[in-house]
Amino acid sequence: MNEFVKITFRLTLSCLMAALVMGTAFIFTDKAKKHNEHVNVQTTMLSLLGYSDLNPAPKELKLYSLYRYIIEEKGTTYLGYMVPVTESGKESYELLKLNLEGKLMQRVPMNISPDAAAEDAERATAMKEALKTEQGIAYQDRTVVARLGDQRLAYLLPGKFGGFKTFINVILSLNPDFAIRGLEIMEHEEDPGLGAEISQNYFKNQFRNKSFERLKSLDVIKEPLPDEYRAYLNAPDKMDKDKADAIIKQYGEKDIYALTGSTISSRSVTDGVKNMVKRFAYRIQVLNDVIADQKIPALI
Amino acid sequence: MAATKKTNSQLVLDGIFLENPIFRLALSMCPAVGLTTSIKNGLLLGTAVLFVQVFSSCTIAAIKNFIHPRIRIPTYTLTIATWVTVIDLVLAAYVPDAYKQVGLFVKLIVAFAIITMRLEMFACKNSVSASWWDGIGMGFGFMFGMVTIGFVRELLGSGMLLGYDVLGFKPLLFFVLPAAGFFCVGIMMAMFNYVEVVYNRRKESKS
Repeated sequence: MNEFVKITFRLTLSCLMAALVMGTAFIFTDKAKKHNEHVNVQTTMLSLLGYSDLNPAPKELKLYSLYRYIIEEKGTTYLGYMVPVTESGKESYELLKLNLEGKLMQRVPMNISPDAAAEDAERATAMKEALKTEQGIAYQDRTVVARLGDQRLAYLLPGKFGGFKTFINVILSLNPDFAIRGLEIMEHEEDPGLGAEISQNYFKNQFRNKSFERLKSLDVIKEPLPDEYRAYLNAPDKMDKDKADAIIKQYGEKDIYALTGSTISSRSVTDGVKNMVKRFAYRIQVLNDVIADQKIPALI
Repeated sequence: MAATKKTNSQLVLDGIFLENPIFRLALSMCPAVGLTTSIKNGLLLGTAVLFVQVFSSCTIAAIKNFIHPRIRIPTYTLTIATWVTVIDLVLAAYVPDAYKQVGLFVKLIVAFAIITMRLEMFACKNSVSASWWDGIGMGFGFMFGMVTIGFVRELLGSGMLLGYDVLGFKPLLFFVLPAAGFFCVGIMMAMFNYVEVVYNRRKESKS
């Protein structure tokens, strides 16, 4: 019995020591890791808009975040949108509370700058102050609106959906008319060599230039990817214009060619993208109507 | 086995040649076969193993009197897992680009036979400083093995070295496949054995 106690004690102590070491390492590296992720998301967003080191983004390009919340109040569900607004040159946020029919219920100005709103904790505090309650506020998602001067350039939607194994994290870039500008796979755990091919150019670039109408009926087909189309998809910007146009004309309206041996992954991505765009298009139209109706100086 | 009588430099050199973990001790064959398609892979994984080996060896050597003999293997695994997690976190935070390449393999280091075996054979019977040098020797030995196999396979399989095209053609495509890893390891082992035989014969004839 004595030995049992000894073994238990020593094993517990070892585990605690291990936890201490790992915890310390986590605390020291967490900030750098978060920063990396942030930079990664930022560069990905810019590259989805067509900007890179060689082709830097113009100064007029501004990215504004729109946050969506679900608010439960006395048994009724409302949607809360944190909308970036400008008032006499100063940028802040305003909370729009909508009921499920899309009717505006409440407008609350929020005293929070766009930089502060990017921090989860600060945003949660601001929401608490605006609604004067802590209960029933649930963060849903974020949409980034890219503006070039006064023009709305594109929407960037970070999102995730189920893949073959676990969730697939993506960033989707849409034109103001909801046609797809680009798709980037941020994180996934599909099988290497099979489902993992979703992050290859020749798969994800198939979504480019699909219009909203076409997207609604988009399907996956099990046919070999034609060689010339593959060559175009692998490097869409390097091909000369006439040739690229001819290929887009021929294949642009086609369904998504499934990856060999990974139909489930291909289908998950296609359906996931479809759902993301459809839901977003509905929501943003409702929100746009409200903003236009109330003449809110929104920056989206 | 009592505490080692070797000097520090001997410990390091033995780890690289006479007791090379891959070619002489035949430990950790899975990574040596599976992950050596390029020099870069070998180098990155070798570095990670080096750190895990050195830190684990030192930890075990430091707490060897505290470890209950009945639960020494779980304790070893716990120690290795701790250091692997730490290195995984550090790599992800400070060298994200390299981490993208080896992130998946770094977690596998927990199961590498070489580290557990070295803790069992060496670190739990020796002082911290001796374990430190043994860890360095073993780590570099492993890295040396991985890089050598990676060199042969990358050159013959894809005609490249460190990602640069040096040959301009692919001499033997077979060498990028996992099966060729076995051939490489086998041939290298034979060479190591041959060198040892020749070396011993010379020593005998001299004496």
